[in-house]
Amino acid sequence: MTMFHFVNCVILTFGPHAVYYSATPLSEYDTIGTSVKALVVYLVTTLVKLICLATFLKVSETDTFDPYQELMRTLIGFIDIAGIYFALTQLTHRNISQTHKFQAVGLGWAFADSVLYRLAPLWIGARGLEFTWEYIFQGLEANANLVLNLSLAALVSLMWLRKNKPKTVIPIIYACAVILASMPSTVSYLRKALGWQPLKVVGFELTSSLVMAFISWQLYYACQRQV
Amino acid sequence: MVSTRGGGAGGELLESIYSVLVLALVLVACVELGDAATAVDVYRLIQYDIAGVPFGSRLAGLNHHAGSSLSTTNADLSRTAVILPVRELNLTLLNEFITSKQPLGGLLLLLPRRTGSRESSEKIHGDSLTRSILVELEKLLIHSYIPYPVYFAFENSKLNSILADVRRSDATGQPASATSGGYKLVVSSWEPKKVSSPTITNIQALAVGSDSNGSGVVALLEIARLFSRLYSNPKTRGKYNLLFGLTSGGPYNYNGTLKWLRSFDQRLRESIDYAICLNSIGSWNNELWVHVSKPPENAYIKQVFDGLSDIARDMGVKIGIKHKKINISNPRVAWEHEQFSRVRVTALTLSELSVPPELLESTGGLHDSRNLVDETAVYRSVKLVAESLARHVYGQQGRNIQIFAESSSLEINPSYIALWLDLLSRTPRVAPFLEKTNSFISALKKELSDHTVDVYGTHESIDGIFTFYDSTTATLNIYQVASVTFDLLLLLVLGSYIILLFCFLVITTRGFDDLINMFRRPPSRKTKAA
Repeated sequence: MTMFHFVNCVILTFGPHAVYYSATPLSEYDTIGTSVKALVVYLVTTLVKLICLATFLKVSETDTFDPYQELMRTLIGFIDIAGIYFALTQLTHRNISQTHKFQAVGLGWAFADSVLYRLAPLWIGARGLEFTWEYIFQGLEANANLVLNLSLAALVSLMWLRKNKPKTVIPIIYACAVILASMPSTVSYLRKALGWQPLKVVGFELTSSLVMAFISWQLYYACQRQV
Repeated sequence: MVSTRGGGAGGELLESIYSVLVLALVLVACVELGDAATAVDVYRLIQYDIAGVPFGSRLAGLNHHAGSSLSTTNADLSRTAVILPVRELNLTLLNEFITSKQPLGGLLLLLPRRTGSRESSEKIHGDSLTRSILVELEKLLIHSYIPYPVYFAFENSKLNSILADVRRSDATGQPASATSGGYKLVVSSWEPKKVSSPTITNIQALAVGSDSNGSGVVALLEIARLFSRLYSNPKTRGKYNLLFGLTSGGPYNYNGTLKWLRSFDQRLRESIDYAICLNSIGSWNNELWVHVSKPPENAYIKQVFDGLSDIARDMGVKIGIKHKKINISNPRVAWEHEQFSRVRVTALTLSELSVPPELLESTGGLHDSRNLVDETAVYRSVKLVAESLARHVYGQQGRNIQIFAESSSLEINPSYIALWLDLLSRTPRVAPFLEKTNSFISALKKELSDHTVDVYGTHESIDGIFTFYDSTTATLNIYQVASVTFDLLLLLVLGSYIILLFCFLVITTRGFDDLINMFRRPPSRKTKAA
């Protein structure tokens, strides 16, 4: 257990990010700068989100699911889209294609999310003597999260960066973006209100992220063909 | 690019979902979800030296996997902490194991649920088998040298379920080890240190034990209360002063009594008519023993014994007398009165035991619990001693009068006895580990000061041949640990997942040829974009 398990969990949590960067053409175009910028934007966005959460939400002592609170949480979650939009459009990137830009931003975004929310619990928990499945699930969640963030970045880049889209897919793009942005709330609903087991929740996250990735990739493909 | 490879990737995607599903299934199949770490209070077996010879459990720290039986003869148990419930203990096996000095990682003995209160005692009352096992077990453990940690814990549902789990895995022939996982018992504790200056507090009695010698303490308190009622009135005040002493260190050759007597003035010591020591008077039925160290024909002894036996006859109980000479050359003091006799004070010990206990025997062990003590026995002992004392004090020897008759104002109070017995049964009182400022000592002091004029407590250090070691209690953490095999397997699965992901991504974004090229030539070469 202990250190060995910790290393395993780190590989599972952060490995896919590294692999994604090195295996895809992102590494060839040296887009690490874009990813780092996205990471910084993520930190700022999270700060804004936390301030909003602290302002608009009551602190719930119990672990129950409150529909109104969760709705607020979802709305605040849409700040993410604004953050990604800012990272994609307002920041000056070196001349890289749109396809690579959204990938780099999504990657940086997901990586920042993993570092912020998963590294510290891992360091504290996974090195303990007691064995739990929790950290392995957390690693799998990080994988699902990477896929989700990439899809979201793709959709956001479609929404605002690509001018001549086929008219029929525009509502689908917006709907998908809303679904993706509200995914954290959906998961929390499943976990708290329906009382799903961690395994089931992780399974849902993995499948849904893959399905969403497939849909957004098809959308991206459709828009690309239009050009 | 992603977009140009659209057609072929649908199948790949399905494949990746499939692989993730397989991964999840593999993980689920391995072990069920582990629960959180369990922490249990445990009590370590005493560790002590007599004249430099080590006895008891010599270690405190424990960090081993759990096992459930000693009988796996060919297996190496030196890295296994064996959990044994006392209820089903095979004593002969354990005895063999300890005497043949086989290596063991540690021993955790599960005691039946603690029974201090009367309600729960009924159930246990019939369980005399467990009690006899406890007596034997204690005798065995205390008098042997055990080079590994031995802990006691009280059974609870968590421990029982863990034990059941351990048994199940043992039964399948997969004892817990680093390679197979299982439960791990961890007690993080320092090397036990010698108790620097073990103190004994005179006024107080010693050792966990309702009978040895909680019953004596209770009787003394009640007698003190009875006489305080007589003495508070100037008309009924006797011509004697009564001196009540609660001394500690009984199991260690009555060291406290010795110190107490030594602190006496010579004149005070000579003015003592006689002393009655009360030792284990809580569970006798019909026969009590008077132990003396002078021959029974001795005039003083005869006088006191006659006084006691007169009353015993009236009460319908039998008392016998036992004479045991003091062996001056032997440092072992068998009875408390021997300390008195050594300073030439006429003394006797009243006890239900017919023979003196061996060293550290009958010093209030695990079996010596509240339900063993009979209140009526204590009641009768109090009556016996109090009446005989009163007759002596008021010069009424040989007359058939009852001073502490029932339903008089001087009646013995059974509920007082019961309450103090309950309290004593709940309070461990092992002298070397008792703080000077222990609340129990102050309670005793307070109680005595309510009934007597002058109460003082003294703290002395135990001298002599005993050395004690600390860390008597600890917290045992039980972890469910995964095996190294599992970790290795997980690493393998993760490694192949990462590699598959890498290949998948390269193929979908750059094409299969690039993947081949990557392994064929140095990766630093810039490949042209698709």
